[in-house]
Amino acid sequence: MREIRALIVDDSSVMRKIVERSLRQAGLESLIVLEAGSGVEGLELLKAKQVDLILSDINMPAMDGLEFLRQLRSQQLATGVPVVMITTESSEEHVSQAIEAGAMGYIRKPFTADQVKQKVVSLLPAL
Amino acid sequence: MTLTLRDSVHLVSDPGNLNSSVSEVFETMLGVGCEPIQSSASEFLIGGFESVTAVVGFGGILSGACVIACKELSARQIAGRMTGMDFDSVDDIVKDAIGEICNMIAGAWKCKVPELAANCGLSVPAVITGRDYNLHVQSPEFKIFQVYKSDEAIFQVTIVCDGLL
Repeated sequence: MREIRALIVDDSSVMRKIVERSLRQAGLESLIVLEAGSGVEGLELLKAKQVDLILSDINMPAMDGLEFLRQLRSQQLATGVPVVMITTESSEEHVSQAIEAGAMGYIRKPFTADQVKQKVVSLLPAL
Repeated sequence: MTLTLRDSVHLVSDPGNLNSSVSEVFETMLGVGCEPIQSSASEFLIGGFESVTAVVGFGGILSGACVIACKELSARQIAGRMTGMDFDSVDDIVKDAIGEICNMIAGAWKCKVPELAANCGLSVPAVITGRDYNLHVQSPEFKIFQVYKSDEAIFQVTIVCDGLL
C-alpha cells in the first residue's frame, strides 16, 4: 500500500484526532497526517508540503472552510488533490457551495469511520 | 414569498427532535447510547458545582442557542469516551470535546426541519467553565430543556430560541 499524506483542517484538535482515527480505521495504515487549526494555517502548510488528500471543516473562525477552498484554487495550491468537507452544515445550499468551491466530497458530522472509508476509497481508488 | 418558520414551530420545538439528535451524536461519535432522564431531581442540575457549559449560537431564520452543560466529572467522562484518553481535570481538550459535542447536537437538531437546515447558520462553539452561572434569555419564543444520561455521564441540553422569522 502506498503512503498517503492527508491534511486535516479543523479548529478542534479533538475532531482532527477523530478524523485521523477514522482514516486509520478505513485501512490507511501508511498514513501521514498533517494538521492545521485554521484555513490560514492550512494554506501556509500547503505552500511547503504536498498532500494526497485534504479533509476540512467548514465552520471555523478567521477563515472558514469554503474560503479556504477558494483560496486553495485561486493560489493554485494542491491542484488535483481531492478535498472532502467534514461539517455539521449539511443543507443542500452548503453542499452546493462546497462543490462550487471545488470540494469533491462531503461528510456530515456526526460521522462513522465507515462513511469516511467509503468517501476516501471513492476518491483515492488506488488504495 | 417570505420564508417563515411560524407555521412549523410545533416541529421546531418538538423535544423528540432534540432527543434523537443527542442520541445520534452519542451513538455515532462516542459509540454509546444516550437517554433522556427525569430532570426534576436537583442532583442532576449543575448549579453550585464546578461545571462545563458549551454554547453554539443559531442565526438566520431562527436566532438562539444550543447549550450543553454538565458537571466537571461528566465532561471528563464524555471527553474520555470521545477521545479514548483519560482526563484528571478539565483541560483544553475536554473543553474542545464538549464544544464539538454541542456543535454536532446543534447541527443535527437544525437538520430535523428542512427550512431550518437550509436557512439557519451555526456559530463556532464557546465554552464556559466555573460555578453558579445562569443562562438568561428574555421572553424566548420557546425553550427545550432535557437532561440526558450516557454511561455514567449526566448532562443537560437546552435549545433556546429568542427570535423566529
